[in-house]
Amino acid sequence: MALRQLLLILALVCANDSLSTSEVILGRPQIVKCRSPEQETFSCHWTDKDFHNLTTPETVQLFYMRRNDEEWKECPDYVTAGENSCYFNTSYTSIWITYCVKLINKDEVLYEKCFSVDEIVQPDPPVGLNWTLLNTSLTGIHADIQVRWDPPPSADVQKGWITLEYELQYKDVNETKWRELEPMLTTVVPLYSLKLGRDYEIRVRSRQRASEKFGEFSEALYVSLSSISSVLCNEEIQFPWLLVIVFGTFGLIVVMFLILFSKHRRLKMLILPPVPAPKIKGIDPDLLKKGKLDEVNSILASHDSYKPQLYNDDSWVEFIELDIDDPDEKTDGLDTDRLLGDDHCKSHNCLGVKDDDSGRASCCEPDIPETDFSASDTCDGTSDIDQSKKISEKEEDLLCLDQKDNDESHASPADPSTQKPNTNIQSKPPFADSIESTSPPVRTQLSNQSSGANADFYAQVSDVTPAGSVVLSPGQTNKTRRTQCEAYTEPAIQCQPNFTMDNAYFCEADVKKCITATSHDAVEPHVQEQSFNEDVYFTTESLTTTAENPGTAAVEASNSEMPVPDYTSIHIVHSPQGLVLNATALPVPDKEFMISCGYMSTDQLNKIMP
Amino acid sequence: MRAARKGYAWLCALLWLLGKPPGAVFVAICARQGDSSCRFLSVSDLFDRVIQHSDRLHSLSTALYLDLEKNFLPNGNELGKWTGKCHTSRMLTPNGKEYVQKIPREELTQLILRLLQAWKEPLSHFDQNIGHHQELSSDSLSKAKQISNMVHELKTGMEKVTEKMQSMGIISNSLNGMGSSEAAGLSISNEANVMSDYEFIHCFRRDSNKVQSYLKILKCRIWPGNSC
Repeated sequence: MALRQLLLILALVCANDSLSTSEVILGRPQIVKCRSPEQETFSCHWTDKDFHNLTTPETVQLFYMRRNDEEWKECPDYVTAGENSCYFNTSYTSIWITYCVKLINKDEVLYEKCFSVDEIVQPDPPVGLNWTLLNTSLTGIHADIQVRWDPPPSADVQKGWITLEYELQYKDVNETKWRELEPMLTTVVPLYSLKLGRDYEIRVRSRQRASEKFGEFSEALYVSLSSISSVLCNEEIQFPWLLVIVFGTFGLIVVMFLILFSKHRRLKMLILPPVPAPKIKGIDPDLLKKGKLDEVNSILASHDSYKPQLYNDDSWVEFIELDIDDPDEKTDGLDTDRLLGDDHCKSHNCLGVKDDDSGRASCCEPDIPETDFSASDTCDGTSDIDQSKKISEKEEDLLCLDQKDNDESHASPADPSTQKPNTNIQSKPPFADSIESTSPPVRTQLSNQSSGANADFYAQVSDVTPAGSVVLSPGQTNKTRRTQCEAYTEPAIQCQPNFTMDNAYFCEADVKKCITATSHDAVEPHVQEQSFNEDVYFTTESLTTTAENPGTAAVEASNSEMPVPDYTSIHIVHSPQGLVLNATALPVPDKEFMISCGYMSTDQLNKIMP
Repeated sequence: MRAARKGYAWLCALLWLLGKPPGAVFVAICARQGDSSCRFLSVSDLFDRVIQHSDRLHSLSTALYLDLEKNFLPNGNELGKWTGKCHTSRMLTPNGKEYVQKIPREELTQLILRLLQAWKEPLSHFDQNIGHHQELSSDSLSKAKQISNMVHELKTGMEKVTEKMQSMGIISNSLNGMGSSEAAGLSISNEANVMSDYEFIHCFRRDSNKVQSYLKILKCRIWPGNSC
């Protein structure tokens, strides 16, 4: 109820307003509009007046006056232009002359206006609108059309009296706002990108060039594109989700590859960590590769731990070549394994040929499971200690293993090879392969000879002379070994040297055996003292005492057909700390290598290599 | 503004061509024999350029007129429009299409030149005086300056085309017309100083339209074709 009343009130108010305004309009003619369509004639129109009640329409008069004249004249034609109009034909029309018109109602001037005809030119609308289809897009969504029209027939464009400008407007039938094109002088214009399946309306209007006012619009041209709608695609283009996904994944892949490529090295580090190459302090591996012994020696000479040796121009040295193998092989296979005759040692240069490291596989590196003999010349005394510690652990195992091996290796034939200490010389013999073949027999021998816990296989090489002689030092105490393998110990270590004194080197193991066997009392405490101490060297006295024993043993062994071991003759380097073992010539049987402790005597080498 | 500059450029090209001896116009363009790109520039083309220049002149004057109308007639009162005479009103000019078509070509050509001559000097004065109007924008002032230049150029160009047409026999030589135009122009220009700026521009706009229409009619009379 209240709402209805409100609406009624609003309606009344609106009606009142409209009535009031209309009254104002109908009261007096306000404006007289004059227009010339072609600049040859013109006409003036005035608005409806509400004089029905008051006066007759005929009383309204329009007078005009040209500027050149001095009096007002009445309108010549009230009819042609319609009601409430005055028409001036060509005879009354003068261009570029000021006209003044006034509307009079019974001597009452209603309106007055002055103008010039060239200022009031408003052309008629163009005629003959039509359109043609230019082309359609490949997608079948859009189309181009061309619209053509003719200028209004009243305007004399042919003779150049008037120059027209056209403006085209078009819109979709469903829209409300018209789209405009820029005014143009031509009567042909293309319309681009109209959508198929829709209808359009087009209209054109014209004006005189450099004028302000346009004429009336032409009739709307109806363009029906719905009949030409393509079969392909009638729908709006939807958001291309598929394209977005495809390109998104592609972009991600590209980014990933970029990351991989940029972090290539880091990833490679993660997956394949590099293996550190073994090094010796101060020595370039290239020198060793090239076989330049002199330079290496000079470098080593500058090293602190190097003890100058007397160069011994032994012919033996000349035939010693450096066999530089891959230092990584050093890590493969312990010497003890080789001594025990492990099979895998066959593939490597196990026997003493690991002299190739000649200082490359540093005994300073704790990782290398080498025993003390490995490149001890570059090591400090401390490193020797570390090695000795390790050796002790390994030898314990070895000692225990020996007993096991004894049972297994009885059947294996005995070859001329004896136990070999892990002494490595810097120069290596070139008969690595042949030496290796003897490893299993060595193993058997060792096992045969091993007398249990006191089988001391290792001697530590503290120094190596350039001549190839080795400075030995005891690696471990006999005591620790004894304690470990108590169960397996035999009553006494038989000093059964299967070696001859002819060989160049002592096998320290043999030596120790002899030491323990013969001078047990004398040496043992001394050896014990030497365990894990800086004083890790044999004293010359101790060794000399034992030297005889191996010599005697060697004589016995020489009678047997056991393999001839190699010996080092003892050459005192610096008393009382060090001991240098020199190579001495020994007779060698025919083709067999009589190797004990893994070393070749020079005679053996000479025989093999004339 | 752009139209004015374009017109400027066109007229420069036109004058560059017209500044040479009549015969040289065509020789300079087609210097190389048998060159396909060499286009023979006919008098009708030159005339077209003159017409284009006059169109731009009229546009410019209309724009300036509207600017001044805003300042001097703020209410848009139709009654207050200037109805006074212009200093060129004394000149007998055809005021209807039929008359323009009936008049001989030579007379029409002379008429154009006289009109341009009549406005040449007053415009230079106008250009100097309009700077005193502080309420006008710099845009309006620049338009006034351009109008002054364009009239001068248009007149010069029209003279050259007239000479060419006379040499080609399109229009006959009439020596009287030029002399009288000078004298008439001088007497007229004195009156121009009395008018106000608004009136001045109102008159000039009308005369520029006159010149434009005359040129078009003349061109279509001499070279009727589709471009009319």
